[in-house]
Amino acid sequence: MAAAQPQVPHPSTDRKRVKVYELRNNDWFDRGTGFCTAGWHPVEGSQREPRVIVESEEQPERVLLETRICKEDGFHKQQETLIVWTEPSNGVDMALSFQEAEGCTMIWRFIHSVQQQFNPGAVAGDDTLSDDLAMDMAHNTVTLPEAALGNLNVIEDSMRALSTTAASRDALTKFVLNEGYILKLIPLVEQAEDFESLNDLHRLCNIMKLVILLNDTSIIEHAVSDECVIGVVGALEYDPDFPSHKANHRQWLKDSGRYKEVVRIEDSSILRKVHQTYRLLYLKDVVLARILDDNTFSVLNSLIFFNQVDIVQHIQANQAFLGELFDIFKTQGQDSRRKKEAVLFIQQCCSIAKNLQPPARQTLYNNFLSHGLLQVINFGLRHNDVAVRVGATDILVSMIDHDPQMIRRTIYHQIQEKQPPLTDSLIDLLLIEVDLGVKSQISDALKVLLDQGPPAQPEVYAKANGEHAVRLQPRMPTADPQQEQFLDLFYDQSAVKLFQPLILLKDRATMDFSVQQASMFTYLIEILCFFIRQHHHRSKFFVLNNDIVKRVGQLLVCQEKYLKLVAIRFLRQLIGLQDEFYVKHISEKKVIGPILDVLVQTMPRDNLLSSACLEFFEHIKKENIKELMKYLVESHRDQLQKLVYVEIFRDIILKYDQTRGFSVSLDYFMEAEDDVRRKRPNVNPRTGGPMEYVTMDPAEEEYWNTSDDEEDQQAKAGSRTASANGMSPGTKLVDYGSDEDGDDHVEAGALSAEDEARLGAEKMDEEMPRLDEVAPPERLSEKRRREEDEEDDLGKLIQHKRRNSTSTNANSSNSPVFIRKGKNGSTRRDSGGGGNPKKIAITLGSSIKAGNGQTNNKPEDEA
Amino acid sequence: MSDLDKAIAQLRACRPIPEAQVRELCHKARELLIEEGNVVTVAAPVTICGDIHGQFHDLMELFRVGGDPLTQTICSWNGRLLLPHADIRLGDFVDRGFYSLESFLLLLCLKVRYPDRMTLIRGNHESRQITTVYGFYDECVRKYGSANVWRYCCDVFDYLALGAIVLGASNTLSPPNEHISSEDYADADIEIEVCNADGDIMSRFQRRDNEQRSPNGAGASAGSKTGPPGSGASGSSGGSSGNPTGAVLCVHGGLSPLIDTVDKIRLLDRKQEVPHEGAMCDLLWSDPDEIDGWGLSPRGAGFLFGADIVKVFNHRNDLSLIARAHQLVMEGFKEMFDASIVTVWSAPNYCYRCGNVAAVLELSEGGGGESILARSNGDVGRSDGGMRGVMMESDSGPKNGPARRYRVFQAAPQDSRGMPAKKPVADYFL
Repeated sequence: MAAAQPQVPHPSTDRKRVKVYELRNNDWFDRGTGFCTAGWHPVEGSQREPRVIVESEEQPERVLLETRICKEDGFHKQQETLIVWTEPSNGVDMALSFQEAEGCTMIWRFIHSVQQQFNPGAVAGDDTLSDDLAMDMAHNTVTLPEAALGNLNVIEDSMRALSTTAASRDALTKFVLNEGYILKLIPLVEQAEDFESLNDLHRLCNIMKLVILLNDTSIIEHAVSDECVIGVVGALEYDPDFPSHKANHRQWLKDSGRYKEVVRIEDSSILRKVHQTYRLLYLKDVVLARILDDNTFSVLNSLIFFNQVDIVQHIQANQAFLGELFDIFKTQGQDSRRKKEAVLFIQQCCSIAKNLQPPARQTLYNNFLSHGLLQVINFGLRHNDVAVRVGATDILVSMIDHDPQMIRRTIYHQIQEKQPPLTDSLIDLLLIEVDLGVKSQISDALKVLLDQGPPAQPEVYAKANGEHAVRLQPRMPTADPQQEQFLDLFYDQSAVKLFQPLILLKDRATMDFSVQQASMFTYLIEILCFFIRQHHHRSKFFVLNNDIVKRVGQLLVCQEKYLKLVAIRFLRQLIGLQDEFYVKHISEKKVIGPILDVLVQTMPRDNLLSSACLEFFEHIKKENIKELMKYLVESHRDQLQKLVYVEIFRDIILKYDQTRGFSVSLDYFMEAEDDVRRKRPNVNPRTGGPMEYVTMDPAEEEYWNTSDDEEDQQAKAGSRTASANGMSPGTKLVDYGSDEDGDDHVEAGALSAEDEARLGAEKMDEEMPRLDEVAPPERLSEKRRREEDEEDDLGKLIQHKRRNSTSTNANSSNSPVFIRKGKNGSTRRDSGGGGNPKKIAITLGSSIKAGNGQTNNKPEDEA
Repeated sequence: MSDLDKAIAQLRACRPIPEAQVRELCHKARELLIEEGNVVTVAAPVTICGDIHGQFHDLMELFRVGGDPLTQTICSWNGRLLLPHADIRLGDFVDRGFYSLESFLLLLCLKVRYPDRMTLIRGNHESRQITTVYGFYDECVRKYGSANVWRYCCDVFDYLALGAIVLGASNTLSPPNEHISSEDYADADIEIEVCNADGDIMSRFQRRDNEQRSPNGAGASAGSKTGPPGSGASGSSGGSSGNPTGAVLCVHGGLSPLIDTVDKIRLLDRKQEVPHEGAMCDLLWSDPDEIDGWGLSPRGAGFLFGADIVKVFNHRNDLSLIARAHQLVMEGFKEMFDASIVTVWSAPNYCYRCGNVAAVLELSEGGGGESILARSNGDVGRSDGGMRGVMMESDSGPKNGPARRYRVFQAAPQDSRGMPAKKPVADYFL
């Protein structure tokens, strides 16, 4: 619009093109198109009255509408271009439908400001009222009344009105900055406090919120500056949403003791940024937490981010500073409090660094390391204060997260120097640490450090369907020789040390453990699970050599149920690897018996333990691990008989009975051969949880499909369940073409993982769709994105809601959905003024919008 | 006063308990939860609550509104202990609100204190990955200076049950407050009653008129019933003829294409981080939708499922209703698909700004009082709720759902709480 000549009243800016409607018999009747103006019109001498006038477009002399804005709160703005009200004189419902949203906004601002004046609490503002108030706002400059308690209502209303469009927000921002308006407002807080005028304090709070929600970087920087911050948060202490509460932000921020200075930061501008950042964080998390919208949130975040970049940049480049910092640890006599604080300082540095770009982070860590960070970590990990230990592990973990290779290189270096490697210290610590949090972080750190070769990203493999064969190779050709050496050393010396408690179980008669010990086993077995997945032959050898399976089996008789659970899960993972060796090992070590015992003891109770056991046997049955089934039935038939009321065990016995002897052993030999091609299952090395896709080699599947017809048929019903555990369903292969005829095979009892699920679905009912129709191939990546979407949707909802409540009464946006507000929602903002009485939707004809040619007066309203 | 009661009192004041105590509590909770099946069986009467999302003060309001179970629980540490109701929480206790920690720990305390009266079900936010993104992790670090407490809580998450089955829910209601005598309810054949926070009746819906029955139910067109669940037509689950209402399944999200019977849920090894797919994931992530069959979920996890899926599942499992949470509904509850599934949402003014109201769902105890059912793996005895006689008389029209009372409530009055805000970081070096 032509706001370029702001000072000159201009018809095209002042006169808004509009259609006038009147409600007759529940229908909106078009009274014509014209130009709308709003302003103070003289009546009877010096008296002036606020009026809205619409002059006809075709006959400029004819007035289509002249209405007086009166005290009754009858006007409402709907959507972007509608103003509706009930004519007080005759009670007729009227509507103005504007061609442009801006026109509507301008007229509405005038109406709204007038209505605000009629508000009984705001009588005082009469002389500040000027007839150009309505029009002024569209111009590039705005002025607000002088900051004084008496003007607060006008200031608040004008600011609220100005906040609605981008142009006026800019103007308001300029004004606030140029006039130093924040500084002018600040003294009012104390004045109002002196007068104990809660009303004024609430208005000040609203005004301050409006100022901050302008989302202007300079304003926010100004607001958290030394001169302003206390006053700003002071104003924000009196939130009208919580009339009986007062926050104590000033007290919190005035407490200078919150800043701990380990080494003096000489650069005053950096020091200022440190304080500023803390205030910004406080503003974001505490003061504004409830009202922040996405825009302000990101403005605050980016301010914080850039400050932090500067601070970290300054520190890592400041050799003198770093020298002094790390010297704290080198001197013997230093008081321990300072050392502790230094650790915590470094911890905070590292956690801030997590937000930075990787190169910046890298230089920071490099500088830290070259000044002796590892010694600091070593010092910290052995400290008797838990907080320090937590700090030290945090530092370590954040560096490992950043680049494990960096730490590994340091370790290689240590090995070459014949120093004990860091991993050994970690192992020592893990075994004696009492703080569970530190313990779990150390165990995570160990896992990452000992992670083999190219960073384990199972997802990559899982997605690159069909390339699984590659993983079958025992070692990746790209392996780092140093890493090899490191692992060799680890398995030569450290592993035994690490898993010592497990190995020592051998000579233990009773399985009574303290909480500490029990949690120790939990961690150890978890780590071992990870190693078994990652270090194939090395870990296999270790497990065999130390009789680990037997040892873990011992835990099955302990008291602690969760420890039993850990043991079951360990064994479940071994059979889940589909590795011939482990299957054989497990049956030789006779650990399945104890699992069965656990189940027999637990059943028929339905608890976590029985579920885990059942899932274990279900897996054996579903995957048709014949060796184990054979072992089970031959050695534990009696126990199985006790459990035949469970389908799984009925099936296992049946299967065995049908194929006993010849076929089982034959299959067994074929299986052994075939096993080479059998792909390694996707087990997520981090969580130990199963990965999404269990891929089947089609040829192999053919084999599985064509063996043991009858048994599988027997198994049909029950076998669906196991797929339900997230193990094998959703199988989505590149070349699953053969599987489409798999339906035929089903009759023959061919049950691949997918078939089973599908069969399950079909069996259940026709309504159940096929799994392959619903399981999308790329779930993992989508998941994150969609999770964000969910957030977005929420964000939209929030924004929508925000607009509803903070802007005037606008039931804004084009959304026809009328959100019914709760009581709080509608009463919180007094400007809301009740719900809209009616909801109408009127659109101007396209010819009118084009604004030329003949006017088509046919209403296109949908009431 | 035991330590636990002290902890409850402290948490009720919205003050976190010390880290050592949290560890202890989580340990006890784990012992307890390990004994629960993946699907916990609970006998009516019962109150079912949806998402809470760390809105502590609204949780307190829920305690007030939810009536019997929790007010009694509240009183219990004053020496009175009378807990006529069980209480089921449908997950999503944490994230987004500012007091996830206090809310979750309080629920956990109550669980440990009154194990049979409180059933906590896992929601999709009870996971490591989600809590790190949506605030619970930050909150724990902020309040304790380290992530230890978060770790303890996440450990407990892994043990939470995945669902619950409510048995013996009546097809008539008991009075909502003491001003109304139970005689008023004897004859009235009320299926749905909506009460406000003070227990006053806002609206009632008679059973099976030919009108639309659901107060807000989309697609609640009457007349398209597949036979009444539990009428014996469902041969699969042991033909429980004469069961007046059928059981109610409570899960956080919804159904899974991999789960066709409730017993299949029992075969999951639930002690793990919520996977990205598979049955366990679906139970926590899926949503009902106006579609046929299954559909891709826009959330990227779980599925959308239509009315046909719900009906087949309910029929097959002798269920009359699935109660789930997981989706914001502005009215606090929303019945769908001929009242075969309901969404219950218990976080009013979600995120302190969505403007919605919240609700809890109450199911009454079966008449005659003989519907005492063991709180165990409940495949046996589900068929006999002691209501047979009542049913026989009015067998003209099938009564399928249990009578449902929704208590709708709004966000706690703002004056009753402090300003919601996160706890600031105490000290800073940088």
